Amino acid sequence: MKAVPKDKLPALLEELSKEGDLYVPSQAGEMSRFVPWKRDVKLDLEHNTTMSPKELLFPQTEVIYNYKFGEENTVEPPSPGSDKIILFGVRPCDVQAIRCLDEVFLTRTYVDNYYQEKRDRLIIISLGCTAAEDTCFCKDMGVNPVEAEGADIVIFDLDGEYGFEAKTDKGKEIAKKLSSFLEETNKEKPAAPSFSLEVNSEGIVEKLQKMFEHPIWEEVSQKCICCGTCTFLCPSCHCFDINSKNIDATKGFKYRTWDACVFDDYALMAGGHDVRPSKVERIRNRFLHKLQFFQERYGLFLCTGCGRCLRECPVGTNIAAFINRLEEVTVDG
Amino acid sequence: MNEITGLMRKKAKELLEKGVVERVIGWEKGMFFYSTTPVVIDKPEETEKLVWDDFAINNLAIYLLDKQNKEKKVALFVKGCDSRGVVRMIQDKQVKRENLYLIGVPCPGLKDPKTAVRGYYKDAGQVPKAKKCQECLHPNPVLYDEMLGSPVEEPQQIDRFAEVRELEKKSTDKKYAYWKEQADKCLRCFACRNICPACSCPECIFDCSKPRWLDKEVSTVQNQFFHMIRMWHVADRCIECGECERVCPAGLPLMQLNRKLLKDINELFGPYEAGMDLEQRPPLTQYDTGDPEEFM
Amino acid sequence: MASADKNPLVPMLGTITKIIDETPDVKTFHVTTADGKPFTPKPGQLAMLSLIPVGEGMFSITWQGDDYLEFSIKKVGVLTDALHDADVGTTVGIRGPYGNSFPVEIMKGKDLLFIGGGIGLAPLRSLINHCIVNRDEFGKLEVLYGARSPADLVFKYDLFDNWPKVRDMEVYVTVDRGDDDWKGKVGFVPAYLEELKPSPEGKVAITCGPPIMIKYVLQTLEKLGFNEDQVITTLEMRMKCGIGKCGRCNIGSQFICLDGPVFSLAQLKKLPPEW
Repeated sequence: MKAVPKDKLPALLEELSKEGDLYVPSQAGEMSRFVPWKRDVKLDLEHNTTMSPKELLFPQTEVIYNYKFGEENTVEPPSPGSDKIILFGVRPCDVQAIRCLDEVFLTRTYVDNYYQEKRDRLIIISLGCTAAEDTCFCKDMGVNPVEAEGADIVIFDLDGEYGFEAKTDKGKEIAKKLSSFLEETNKEKPAAPSFSLEVNSEGIVEKLQKMFEHPIWEEVSQKCICCGTCTFLCPSCHCFDINSKNIDATKGFKYRTWDACVFDDYALMAGGHDVRPSKVERIRNRFLHKLQFFQERYGLFLCTGCGRCLRECPVGTNIAAFINRLEEVTVDG
Repeated sequence: MNEITGLMRKKAKELLEKGVVERVIGWEKGMFFYSTTPVVIDKPEETEKLVWDDFAINNLAIYLLDKQNKEKKVALFVKGCDSRGVVRMIQDKQVKRENLYLIGVPCPGLKDPKTAVRGYYKDAGQVPKAKKCQECLHPNPVLYDEMLGSPVEEPQQIDRFAEVRELEKKSTDKKYAYWKEQADKCLRCFACRNICPACSCPECIFDCSKPRWLDKEVSTVQNQFFHMIRMWHVADRCIECGECERVCPAGLPLMQLNRKLLKDINELFGPYEAGMDLEQRPPLTQYDTGDPEEFM
Repeated sequence: MASADKNPLVPMLGTITKIIDETPDVKTFHVTTADGKPFTPKPGQLAMLSLIPVGEGMFSITWQGDDYLEFSIKKVGVLTDALHDADVGTTVGIRGPYGNSFPVEIMKGKDLLFIGGGIGLAPLRSLINHCIVNRDEFGKLEVLYGARSPADLVFKYDLFDNWPKVRDMEVYVTVDRGDDDWKGKVGFVPAYLEELKPSPEGKVAITCGPPIMIKYVLQTLEKLGFNEDQVITTLEMRMKCGIGKCGRCNIGSQFICLDGPVFSLAQLKKLPPEW
């Protein structure tokens, strides 16, 4: 395996930044996120970021088209970017989330142009995890915590150096450009970290299919305050809203924004009908979307076990605890 | 198990068994040593879930606004800040005093699970006291039907406006730059609003679609608008529980906004703290001939 | 329909060419583009219609002409209020067609019973008119329709004039509350259905209306002996993207905009009861 000595990492990143827009995990005030790399950016490779990298592929606010009304009426989507987007240090849970987003935005009859044009430019350099936080449970949600499936390049922390393995053609092309930084190492890939949190996701799809009317939903939703913390920090939540903004009487833009299925107005129709009128139905829909519906539609969990919602939920709602609670539930047939 | 936890369980069980209340709202233990979360209990046998420990930091008053609790007879455990939230809601006629059984818990100052998470600390003892608790002036409940344990000593030496005074020294440009930076971080997740016991409007201006006052676009201007309006809407109702700032995933210093207005209110209308006294009406909801009027 | 080079979220620009007042709160709009008809939908399909500076909404396509699509729209919110204020000549955005469509193939040779309530007749009308145009392909056509009051009956010209003239077609109309001039039936749609006692033999029932009406109509049809494959409904849900991405219109793992809006009762029963 190739490796880059840790002291050469800044130089490698500098070289990498010549290939496109390079984003790295960094602490920004209270919150860490992927930020554009600059020489003075302080890397945070110890913990996963508070904000997931989804914001780079699917920004919280994104223009769908600009419009002008006047002698001639026009609607014009913004022009696509051209530079590569290189994400350095993405954790396997977040790589898995990108796989989920790929399914949503790139498959099933329609392709979402906005996501696709960024995805086409994306290069994922994933950092394998050598330690699991107490809120991590990716391995129980179908994720390989060391070598993320879907990454273009995987790197491993091997003490004084980072193991470096190109996985895709895109990754190999990048690796070639970085070859002067890479040396052969005889170290082995790290073993999977040990997880203090164990989640039993086996058989939950079949179980949940029989639990739509179960009293558990009443219980798990009781403390929810219906804010958007979980959905906005979630690396795989993809629901969005579309609205217009009028700059003046003749021009404006149509844009989309992240939306949260727990918000009061999420499913409320003009005219007042709401199929999910209270938080009981909303939490049920959120958990089932993550753990049952997405499996049924795309064959993956829409929860990748990153632990962000466990860490940040204002009232301590815990999807991992919910999954484990299911073990105690018995269903007919 | 600590003494208060035992008393809580006993009291809750008794209230449910005797039918004094239909529901008890307290705290239960979560998955980690640092997670203690709100819990709603309807059955006497479930009162064993209740706990009181270092992390019972959530202000429970907000649950009284929940549709499913509004018309019920509810017993609520209240720390100082929870009880002030309840006072405000009763003053706003959002909840009925006669529907409530308030069980006071003197608060030694608690710890924030969001500080403890991520493994920097191995046990509760290592976790520092939460910022909101370091700033708290009234740890003892101000309204209760009965109290568990004896009151704690109230701190005297806290200048609640110290941070605001520092900010006020900045130039207008610096202040603008500072608040713009804060606004830019906002995710508009509405955790600050939804956790706030003073945000009690059945329909919030920010959810109104006709007209839509707040654009869904997450931008500097819209975020500034959101926080400006929010701070004004809770101006004389903010009970300074600090929950908004604690739960903000982006770390916005929201109490600086709330305290700026409270400081102004104190300077204009005399000493005031919201939710301390059922009889004291918030200064901005009443008119007095002695009110300052140089701005009119 | 879904070509790779076309951006499905960007609408074509069109114009409102005709507005018909149906009821105090329902108007029918004809929409056309510079190239004529925006697209050729199948009966039961949907389109995203927008007054661009105001908003965008998913509407069923009520019918189509050679160079226009027709939408019957009830005034219920911000966008529909603005549409009701719009004049002929107003520019609109239109994208689609979306959703599946009524399974016309399985209806061929069968008697069809349409059961509509309120604005719910709008989505059925595309199929009713399709059957009239292709009259020989279908058996007897029956329409059972109800609205709150006589003034709230949509498509009066069809209900009382056009459709009764069609060969082997019956129209039954009821209102929840009559008025001084109303000589017709008074009562709810499910009750009228029970009274008419249609035989399930060789028949397909297609229903659309307020959720509560649909629920009772489905119950009544089952009681009358219709099996789950003989009953078809078209659902409504809040939608934003129309292309199965925004997540809003799900019932279980199905999206109304993509997998619906048309479902047989058999399909519906496999989904969570959340509609």
